[in-house]
Amino acid sequence: MAPITVTPWRLVLPEAMKAELFAHLFPGDNDEHGAIILAGVCQTDRGLKLVARELHLAIDGKDYVPGRHGYRMLKGEFIQSRILRARDLKLAYLAIHNHGGTTSVGFSSDDFASHERGYPSLVDISRGLPVGALVFARSAVAGDLWFEDKQRAPLKEAIVLGQRRELLYPSPLKTTQVRRLEFDRQSRLFGDAGQELLRSLRIGIIGLGGAGSILAELLGRLGIGEFVLADPDRAEVANLPRLIAARRMDAIIDWLPRGLRTRFARYKVEMAARNIRRANPSARIVALQANFLEPDVAKQLVDCDYLFLAADTMGARLLFNAIVHQHGVPGVQVGAKVPVSPSGEVGDVFCVARKVTPGHGCLWCNGLINPSRLQDEAVSDEARRGYAYVADPQVAAPSVITLNAIACSHAADDFLFQVTGLKNQDAQQDWFRWNSRKGTAGYDGPRRDLECLECSSVDDSRLGRGDFFPLPTRAK
Amino acid sequence: MTSITPIVEKAIAQIRASFPDCPLESVPDGGGGAFVTLNSVPLGHPWAQTDTWIGFQITFQYPYADVYPHFVRPDLKRADGQPFGPGLGQAQFQNQSAVQVSRKSNKLNPAIDTAALKLLKVLQWLRSQ
Repeated sequence: MAPITVTPWRLVLPEAMKAELFAHLFPGDNDEHGAIILAGVCQTDRGLKLVARELHLAIDGKDYVPGRHGYRMLKGEFIQSRILRARDLKLAYLAIHNHGGTTSVGFSSDDFASHERGYPSLVDISRGLPVGALVFARSAVAGDLWFEDKQRAPLKEAIVLGQRRELLYPSPLKTTQVRRLEFDRQSRLFGDAGQELLRSLRIGIIGLGGAGSILAELLGRLGIGEFVLADPDRAEVANLPRLIAARRMDAIIDWLPRGLRTRFARYKVEMAARNIRRANPSARIVALQANFLEPDVAKQLVDCDYLFLAADTMGARLLFNAIVHQHGVPGVQVGAKVPVSPSGEVGDVFCVARKVTPGHGCLWCNGLINPSRLQDEAVSDEARRGYAYVADPQVAAPSVITLNAIACSHAADDFLFQVTGLKNQDAQQDWFRWNSRKGTAGYDGPRRDLECLECSSVDDSRLGRGDFFPLPTRAK
Repeated sequence: MTSITPIVEKAIAQIRASFPDCPLESVPDGGGGAFVTLNSVPLGHPWAQTDTWIGFQITFQYPYADVYPHFVRPDLKRADGQPFGPGLGQAQFQNQSAVQVSRKSNKLNPAIDTAALKLLKVLQWLRSQ
């Protein structure tokens, strides 16, 4: 295991886990209670991120008892089984208790003394994985994480993923809000703080074709600060009508000799980056002219704050779904389907926006990743040529910009209201579906398999496992 | 060339253990998966031949991807002289003529639906034709 870099860290906590934890910590008795969270470790260019995977509640009087040095403590047996589990699953260990107060919280001197007594040996037991503590108030959290050689780092923020993206800090942030004239009209909805929040986000868009191009335009114009774009394809004449602000010379360079005219067509990620910069010149953009399934590309997308999947291959769905659950990155899959039979008969034309977060909407559970098509995509063209008949995933399906626009607008709007905290707590969570021929909008309720290896917390599952679990990328 | 991933290697080892009397050959497919050929696999009723080789590709997307199609000896014939039914057709596997056996599994549990289990199901289906 490579040494873990010591940095201030973030914690990602699913909303359902926070609700269960808070019901335990704050039952209304104004007393102190305890628990343990085991969390996946993600080392990123923005510092260390821990993704909460398991919550172990300590029973008062049995697991959480009067302390020898402080007020209360977790009992040795309770700690021992969890630290060994953390070591075996390669997870960070976080001991939890609560204090009074609301928007500010910190460890007491007794708390720090107990960390100094106990955590160096717990780091030894965990074989170098981080070990630490969290202390919660009703709207605040502080953290103290220990690494090898008695190094330690404080919690920067906790991100609660749910209907609304909630941020918790040790004490209220002192921010300087800059009014930006170009965003005046929209910031009248969510304030300068909301606009600053959008500027602070890193968004990943996978696939910059007909749908991804629209997403880039919408998100660029919202003032998102940072983008990671991934698509290996260049523009072609046949897709220019569906790419925002595309020009003929993006696909064909007329002054080149005939055989070279399309060879130097512009990459779709370059076209999307051009549009984003036109909308927001200060946006930082990483434009990856490569397939999402390449390990180096996937690695650049695992620390986004939100992912938009606009590439309709089964491999991309599998990897997107895996990143959401393994690295705690919420996302949405957008797509449209225009079924046309060989005889030209048009079936139900529809588009969808399927929100996927840890705890809601796994694409695998819902049968939206077809194992046979995954195999077809992974077999090389050369091998497939010998097969008797296998559906060719490269065959171009009908595609229409209006359908893409409906799905993408819905997805981007849902994202906007979620991250700015304006979404109602009881808002619709099911998957949006628009049927163009029937003129109907509807919602599909996603199912949940309690033993799913992607989204459940069964022992072998991917959920919250961070860097120490393989992603379904191509082999290096 | 990318070598075979550990998870595909494990799948091959499971097949070897499940068919101890059938010599197994595997070659990397270049993307982390492998082309696998199992030899001297008993065929039984209703086929004219007593045994066959059976080949297939386990791709880097295993265990999420279905292991399909499978390929068997090109001269496969029914004992009763009748033509093949649905799911069987002439094809090529690894540049050699073969009969393709197309049995998709659209619902798959990666925890239990191993390449070895899929192979057993395909052989059972062949024997039930």
